[in-house]
Amino acid sequence: MIKFLFFLKKSMPFLITLFLWRMSVSFWNPAGILALIPIFYYTFVKPIDWFVLFGLTFCFLIDYRCDLPLFWTTLFCLMYAINGFQNYIDITNVEKNALYIFMLFIGSGFFILTCVGGTWNIFINNLWLFIWMGILYIPITSIDNALKIKGLK
Amino acid sequence: MTKDKLSYKLMKIVKSAAAALAVPVFIIYIMVSKPDYAIMNDLAHVVLPVANVVGDIITWPVRIIGQGVHWVRETSQIRTENEILRKKLDEALANKYACDIAMDENKKLEREIDIKHASPYSSVIADVIFDDSVFHHTTFLINKGRKSGLERGMVVVSFENRLIGTIIDCGSQFCRVRAITDSDSNVAVRVSGSGVSGFLRGNGKNKASIGFFSDTQFVGRSGLKIMTSNISGILPSGIYIGDMIDETYVDVLKPNQNSRVMVLKYNNMDSYN
Repeated sequence: MIKFLFFLKKSMPFLITLFLWRMSVSFWNPAGILALIPIFYYTFVKPIDWFVLFGLTFCFLIDYRCDLPLFWTTLFCLMYAINGFQNYIDITNVEKNALYIFMLFIGSGFFILTCVGGTWNIFINNLWLFIWMGILYIPITSIDNALKIKGLK
Repeated sequence: MTKDKLSYKLMKIVKSAAAALAVPVFIIYIMVSKPDYAIMNDLAHVVLPVANVVGDIITWPVRIIGQGVHWVRETSQIRTENEILRKKLDEALANKYACDIAMDENKKLEREIDIKHASPYSSVIADVIFDDSVFHHTTFLINKGRKSGLERGMVVVSFENRLIGTIIDCGSQFCRVRAITDSDSNVAVRVSGSGVSGFLRGNGKNKASIGFFSDTQFVGRSGLKIMTSNISGILPSGIYIGDMIDETYVDVLKPNQNSRVMVLKYNNMDSYN
């Protein structure tokens, strides 16, 4: 049982990402965009070995399904590069699991997409997704902490 | 590897440099490869089915519960729906007899004047597996692809033969369809019962806007029927799209209104395969 829980704990980041991507529903999770939450969290806040490539793959899949050629993939690489080259902010120690940095990340993406779309309808849709992803960030990233409490390190 | 070690720091810089290098590569690719994105699409044809299968395995309990809830809800509505359908069936049967007579007369007249016309005899039925309406794009995935003989550019219609969109990318077992409400969609249309043609443009909303009429004096009005026109040779002519709501907007079919669609095997030369 412990072994299974240990395996679950290790594979949890990958499972959550896959789960959120696959459970796409229009309006609540269009094109599985909520998968950006674990992608961001397990790449920048609680980095896991090899998760970067996995995250990159799922950014690509989100882009493919959103019909946005390499948009989030490029943004993800840009964020990764900026984070790697700077040592002013240590994202791994920022409070609230770096919620505000995550919102800055998705916010800049939504801002660009709103400018490209250029209609009120798209602005409202993007605003909704921005707020919704911000709200869900803490509960989704708390799954990691919840497993730690049970003594699985 | 601790954070203070030199090798860790060096590794971090190397990874960041690789990511930084990828950014201009991606941007150049986006600009150069437009609008086909062949490499990206080919890669997606491999990665997407794999991710889908693994995702299906992981999410099956949730999806089964979801389907169960859906089934219970549908079952509870069946009695009411049955009564409504019976009424509609009676009405439809009454209409059918009148139609049968009209069709026979029509065939007779066609024989007399020797009319020959193409008919969409080849089509593929597919299920909508993902509705990916997000941002200013409205695309969706269907569960049939090249193995079923589908190709990029083919037309997707509802079972009422109403236009939904066109295939923009085709994998071996799935296709990505651009709906007519997508902001990149621009369809040549004509106003039924008149010689006026124009263009129907999606804008990411639930309705599409129509404009660039061939007759500059023409003003659209509510209730006019819009059909495809085949002016640019991209779509077959005569497919019903929707009714005009006002002088600018047309009420079109949205992807989320269909769980199953038909793909017409159209070869861009005003004929069907």
